[in-house]
Formats: sequence, structure tokens, C-alpha cells
Amino acid sequence: MSGPERGKGAARAGRGRAKERMDGDVERIEAAFRDAGVTGYLHALDVDSGREIGLRSDEPVVLASVFKVPLLVTFFRHVAAGRLDPAAQVTLRPEDRCAGPTGVSALQDEVRMSLRDLACMMITISDNAAADALFAAVGLDAIDATVAELGLRATRVVGTGRDLHEAMLADGGVRDLGELWARLAEPGVLERLRALDPMRTSRSTPREMARLMAMIWRDEAAPPAECAQMRRFFGLQVWPHRLSSGFPYDDVRVSGKTGTLPTIRNEIGVVEYPDGGRYAVAVFTRSPLPAAVLPQADAVIGTSARLAVEALRRPRQRVVHAGA
Amino acid sequence: MNLVAHLQCFVAVAEELHFGRAAERLGMAQPPLSQRIQRLERELGVRLFERSSRRVELTVPGRLLLDEAREILARVDRIRSLADRARRGELGALRAGVAADLTGAVVAALIAEFRERCPEVRLDLREIGTAEQIRALAEGALDVGVVRHPCEVRDLCLGPMLGQPVGVLLPSGDPLAAAPEVHLADLAGRDLALFPREESPGPYDELLAACRRHGYDPPAVHEARQPQFAVGLVLAGSAVALTPRPPDASGVTWLPLVGEPLLLRVSCAWRRDSEREHAVSEFTSAATAVLCAKAGMTPLPSAPPRRVVPRPASGFLA
Repeated sequence: MSGPERGKGAARAGRGRAKERMDGDVERIEAAFRDAGVTGYLHALDVDSGREIGLRSDEPVVLASVFKVPLLVTFFRHVAAGRLDPAAQVTLRPEDRCAGPTGVSALQDEVRMSLRDLACMMITISDNAAADALFAAVGLDAIDATVAELGLRATRVVGTGRDLHEAMLADGGVRDLGELWARLAEPGVLERLRALDPMRTSRSTPREMARLMAMIWRDEAAPPAECAQMRRFFGLQVWPHRLSSGFPYDDVRVSGKTGTLPTIRNEIGVVEYPDGGRYAVAVFTRSPLPAAVLPQADAVIGTSARLAVEALRRPRQRVVHAGA
Repeated sequence: MNLVAHLQCFVAVAEELHFGRAAERLGMAQPPLSQRIQRLERELGVRLFERSSRRVELTVPGRLLLDEAREILARVDRIRSLADRARRGELGALRAGVAADLTGAVVAALIAEFRERCPEVRLDLREIGTAEQIRALAEGALDVGVVRHPCEVRDLCLGPMLGQPVGVLLPSGDPLAAAPEVHLADLAGRDLALFPREESPGPYDELLAACRRHGYDPPAVHEARQPQFAVGLVLAGSAVALTPRPPDASGVTWLPLVGEPLLLRVSCAWRRDSEREHAVSEFTSAATAVLCAKAGMTPLPSAPPRRVVPRPASGFLA
């Protein structure tokens, strides 16, 4: 940042100007969220330089399915430590399965699969049954330990997908999620759901989730071989409508993990450019509309991430000092 | 002894359980902080903390006194803030927000009704949109508001939900104006006049989505902050307006929509931790009564039933 030829005053002016420009970027990100009709929380981080930009970076947010990322990291730390065999086969019976729209959650018959394949299903298609089976294999205490060891002080995973499912039905006073969706616009229903209150469900902050992704990309969240497997899963995630939609460039790789609950739409991931630039981004949104399908709220996750990444990719402003 | 200052030190150390961090938080050095705690312990005649070289812990009496100390400090803060408000002449006033589209008669009736119920409280009524009301409520700049739904109501309490069907305002000479009601799809091709999105983005987005869903995708939307501006656009034949039934005006005709596909929903909203409970509840009763009696609103027993077809990408924990 500082050149030997640069005077202190000039350096200060330079920082001031750079900050001013970042402020402009943050305003544009805020405007994008406003146009999409959501409250947005974002943090983006240059994986290699540590340069960052954020909006409400340290506010607690509902993780929803993003809780599967600390779970994944915990699983691979166990594998690296020799505590779990990634090829060990697990049998998932239909009657113990967590509900969900994809993967094993949607299947009717008994399934046998290895732990690492469950991990793959959990990340690539957000398979809840696979996630809960993996959760049972590692345990909540181990996830707590991972989060603590990685220094993520505002992050807390409080339970499985099935716990969340049961809490939503109980809080909503409904028999199934279909009924919950139908009654979501009734006064008081949304406010009663603990699953949507960051202080009463699995939570983190945009800054910490961006840091976690950066640690996976820097081989710091686990040994390099395990981090490489995690990166492969994130790169295979199928959803095109959120983070990925913001980077319609064939030569850019977008890897990520979404999180979805009524009114909550999230994605955390890493965007990699062919010049080697790589940026961890965490975007969390909350909509006042109880609508299940809200394309503009999905798309703004990509748009806001692109604005943030463009701000980080812009060369730092050169300071022209007096006499130069 | 300045008991309040000493209690502040006690609470800071009790919360940090670390003299260095507590001193930093209080913006003072560590030695005078330790001295204050010792002085407080002498004054009260009990030890508040067990100190060892490695850690600081609250004693049993310390734990008991902590809640009391916090309460005293909260009350001291309250005295200061009440004094501030009294100095600014705000004490006694209830700050309430309503949307800009209420008619003069409704505003006057609301003020009169509130005066009757709460003669000792001055009503500071402000004309602001829902989005700004939500912000002002969160910042403590507003005590109560009449907001349009859906909006972000986390940490807010809501009064009874009221609803009002939205109809269409047409030039009286329009061929559609001869029918008793209009299908939304019949409006196809006409520009629309609507309240500004920035005032209440949730209802705006919901209303436009419902228009498209029912076959009316307006080529352009003209945002009208004042209802009279919308009437002007309709009179000139530039647009149709979607609005609850307005007072009768010459040259324009308001018609209901077939099947009541659009509904505006409002309720009073205030902060869960509001300090003006009594006045807020009187305002809510007054506003609810006046909006029903004079603004064509009716209480909604519950939200209209919704049909939601699940899709994988928006499914549970996708």
C-alpha cells in the first residue's frame, strides 16, 4: 500500500479516496438489494490479498442450508484426522429420512451410499437426507469444535435439517410444509418461526462465512487434499439462479452453496477469474414477501456479488502526490 | 461516593470478567478501575469478585447484585433520555406515521378520535410511506405507524389487520366504465398509475405480480404519490389507476375488479419494546375504528388462502 516516496499526508488522502470509492460501491450494492425488494447482507473477500468489502457484514444471519458448509468442513477434518473412513457405507432407510425436494430426500426406497458421496449430494443438490446422515456421523459437538478452531465466533450450528423441519411445523402449528406455505401470509405466522430468527436457529455473519470459504480455497480449513475435494463439490452445485447468475462469463468459475427457507435466500461461494483472481462472497437476503418463487430476490444475490467482486478487482487508486 | 459510576464499573467487569477489557470498554485505565471496584466492595461490605492470577469470577453476592445494578443503570439512562425529550418539548407527544393517500376527512377524524381517547397526549402525525415508517420505528424516531403489508415486521407488534379491495379508476367516457365491474385482463395495453414503489415496495411488487398473473402487464407504470395526480392522469386518458375506492370525482369512474384479485392490507405497527404502550394502544384503536368507518376498510379475519406449488429450488432447505 505505501510506497517509500509517498508522504504521510498523501497516503492518508489516498486511503480517503479509496474509501470514498468503496462507499460508492456499497451504495450500489444497497440499491440493488432495494430494487429487488429484499434486505441484503453481504461480505466479499479477495482470497489472496484479504481486501474486502461488505454491507452489514457483522450482523447475525439465518444460515438455512448454508449450515451444510461447516458440517462438510467438519466431516473432512475427521477424514483427514483418520477418525472417519470417507468410503464407509451408510444405509438410509426411507422412514428416517429428513424431508426435502432433492436427492435421497426425494427417493422412496432404501439407499446405501458412502459418507463422501453423501457429502457430495449434500453440497451439489442440498440433499437434506444426506446432510442429516452425515450430521449423525460427525455429531454436533464436532461441528462446534470446528467452528471454534477456525475462529468463527459468531457462527453456531444448532441442529439437523430434521430438527429445523420439526421446529417449523411446531411453531407454525401445521401438519406439513405445504400447509405452512399456504398460511404463511397470516399475521404472526412468519414471526413465530424460530427457523427465521438468527438468534434462535443456526446462524453466522456474512464476514465469517466469506472467511470460511476463503479458508477452504486457501487449504486452511482442512489439509489440502480434503480442501480440494470440498472445492470440487462446490463447483458441481447445480443451481444457476443465484450467485452463478451474476457472472454470465464462460471463463469464470462459480462455486457455492445456497440456503433457502421461506423469505430467506442465501448463497456463499467463491468466484474465480482466469487471471487467478479469486473472491469469497457470502450473500444473505430476507424478503418481506411470503412468495415461494421470487426470481428478482434470487438474481440479486448474483448481481450484488458481481458489484462486490468488481469493486475488489478494480486496481487500487494510485495516489498522485505533489510534484509527481 | 458516586454510586452510579461505581455500578457502571461493576457491570462492565461482571460482563467482561476481565479487568483489562472492562477498562478498555469504559475508556479508563486499569488501576483506577480496580480501585473503584475495591471502594464499592468496601461501601457495600461484600466481595463482588473472586480474583485469581488467571481469571475473574463473580461471587454469589456479586451475581445477585448484578441484576439490580443493571436495572439502576437502565433507569438512570431512562431519566436522561426523558429529560432530553422534555428539554426538546417532545414529552407527551405520540409520534405516529400514516400514508400520504388518506383523505383530509380521514386524517381529521383520526386526530379527533385520538384526542377524545387520550386528551393528555399531543399527537404528532406525520405523512410517510411504509418503508420509511419501518425504518423510523426501528430507529426509535416513530412510536407507531399505519403500515401496508407485506413489509418487514420483525421486532414489531401489529394491530388488527384491515383490508380494502383495489379497483380501477377510469375516465367516465371509457367504454369499460359502462360495465359494473372490470376484468384485470381488459386493462391490457393501458399505462398504469400506482403509488410509488419506494413508499411500500412489498405491496407494490405484490400488486404488479398479481396484475401480470391475471393478464394485465402494464406497458408503463406512472408513480403517483398524491391520489390527485393519479386522477389527473386518468382524466387525461394517459393511464388507468389501481386504487381503493376514492371519494367521487367528476370525470372519472371507479369500478371493482372481477373476483377481487387485489387487496391492500394495512395495520398499525409499533416496537415490541415501546415505552408508550398506553398511547400506542389508544392510537391503534382510534386508527382501526376510523379506517373502518371512514376509509372503506374492513377487518380481515385472516390472510387470504394461498396456493403454493413447491419447486425444488425454493423448497425446504434447498
